[in-house]
Amino acid sequence: MNSNKFFSFSRFNLLLRNDILLNYKKYLLTIAGAFILGFIVIYSNMPKYIQKDELHWVFGSQKYFQVFIMCLIGLEAFVGSSFSELSNKVKTSNYLLLPASTFEKYLSKFVIHVIAAIILFLIIFWIDAHLARYVTINNIKDTNDSVLSYAEKEKFVQVFNYSMLLIRNTYPTITYWSWFEGLAIVFGIFSVGMYFFNVKLFFRKLGLIKTAISLIAVIYLGVITMTILSQLFYPETKWFDISKNMDYRMENGLFNIEYWMYLSAYLVSLFLIPLGYFKLKEKEL
Amino acid sequence: MFNDFSLELESGRIVGLLGKNGAGKSTLLNLIAGLCQPKQGSMEVNGFVPFNRNPNFLADIYMVPEEFSFPSVSIACYVKAFSPLYPTFDNEKLKSIFAEFEIQPSSNLNKLSHGQRKKFLIAFALSTNCKVLVFDEPTNGLDIPSKSQFRKILVSSVTDEQLVIISTHQVKDIDTIIDKVVVIDNGTIIYQENTENITQKLYFETATTLTDEDKVLYSEKCPFGYRVIRPATTVAESSIDLELLFNAIINNKITSPLTPQILVPLTGEERGTSTK
Repeated sequence: MNSNKFFSFSRFNLLLRNDILLNYKKYLLTIAGAFILGFIVIYSNMPKYIQKDELHWVFGSQKYFQVFIMCLIGLEAFVGSSFSELSNKVKTSNYLLLPASTFEKYLSKFVIHVIAAIILFLIIFWIDAHLARYVTINNIKDTNDSVLSYAEKEKFVQVFNYSMLLIRNTYPTITYWSWFEGLAIVFGIFSVGMYFFNVKLFFRKLGLIKTAISLIAVIYLGVITMTILSQLFYPETKWFDISKNMDYRMENGLFNIEYWMYLSAYLVSLFLIPLGYFKLKEKEL
Repeated sequence: MFNDFSLELESGRIVGLLGKNGAGKSTLLNLIAGLCQPKQGSMEVNGFVPFNRNPNFLADIYMVPEEFSFPSVSIACYVKAFSPLYPTFDNEKLKSIFAEFEIQPSSNLNKLSHGQRKKFLIAFALSTNCKVLVFDEPTNGLDIPSKSQFRKILVSSVTDEQLVIISTHQVKDIDTIIDKVVVIDNGTIIYQENTENITQKLYFETATTLTDEDKVLYSEKCPFGYRVIRPATTVAESSIDLELLFNAIINNKITSPLTPQILVPLTGEERGTSTK
């Protein structure tokens, strides 16, 4: 079998070069926009006043986790801008006729819109988090009129590092996500990303909206499946009231719905990557 | 759309693909370029199945569509981004065509007029040196001098290893450069012939009057009398009036292919289009 028709490293490099040459301005603007928006999101969530209950205002791992998830929406929007060449017939024709294999085309988009985007996102978020903390500490207002030193003010906002995101709970004691849960969250985020990554392959117009609707439909389908299962195995369940069954834990300590969601998170991305590839391969004008 | 459709085109030719609106010209071009998949039958271009979109196939076919869209970059940037993807791309050829078309490489593509952008695309297509060049309405939007330049550049730059397919309604723009005419109607090839065979068998002229004794295959009134097609009876050859020929074919006045051995209807699995 001639592997050259699937992948050639030099051709792949040329395809990446082609994309970057044509879109570098857009990418630079996106990076600048992400940097500014990221700062705004993080800074606006940080405390502006020191009040009596100091503990209440400590900006730590859980707050960082929340803003991290908020910023991820921006990343998903960028991922959703992949395959913009398929937005109309003329551009689609140009793109499909580019002398490269479908695999190379799909992979080049994946490298730029997923891998490079994630790396840049992590760097930008880290810089923004540190910058926002620095600005916050320098501008934080003490409502008690007690003169606090810079070192004391620093305690109100923790220094960000990515290991913070591994903390599941800080009260009453610090607990961490298990590897199964942690990986499931990563895969879950990745699955949503792949959902958005493939938007243009499935929808020519209003792709993001249609994808969001489809995603909600999938989540509801999951809830309905769980409801049906609850109705079957726990006859006391009324309608959608499946929360009472949350008492039933599995052997690994997870609730059944958690286990089901985590398994879905693992599997969906594995399903969406080849699905998107074949959709591109069979794309017709 | 296509039934009992068999077409075999050899390299070294400039083929004029003619047909009414909705006859299937664009669909045929899309099939040849691998942008659509035949519902039935088989198809081969340059030894490849087009819809597989093998990169080696894509590197040897270039399509200039009727409508086009460019990224907002300079011509130089576009060439830098796309030309390396075509292994046989000739930068010197591009420069000389740019000079003929008076194209400035520093210009932003989206700030050019439609005609200038089309000229750029034609220049780029010819410079790729692809074995199959497909032009859909290439002269639409070109001014009169540019149409003439297009003909000159096309004829001078195409080699015997290349096949050029031009689909157009502007038949007068290409009637001096094509060496094969293919007419399709309702998804069927109703006529295909080399221009040398046409001029050997048909005679095109303008007559002031027509009498009943005249052997006229087809005629149309014009300001100075009649444009007519007659069977060629003498050794003298005439220039092909492609518009008149097309109208004669569409009106069933020239009904059968002049060289039936070229049009071989296939059946079953063989049904489809083949360009070699």
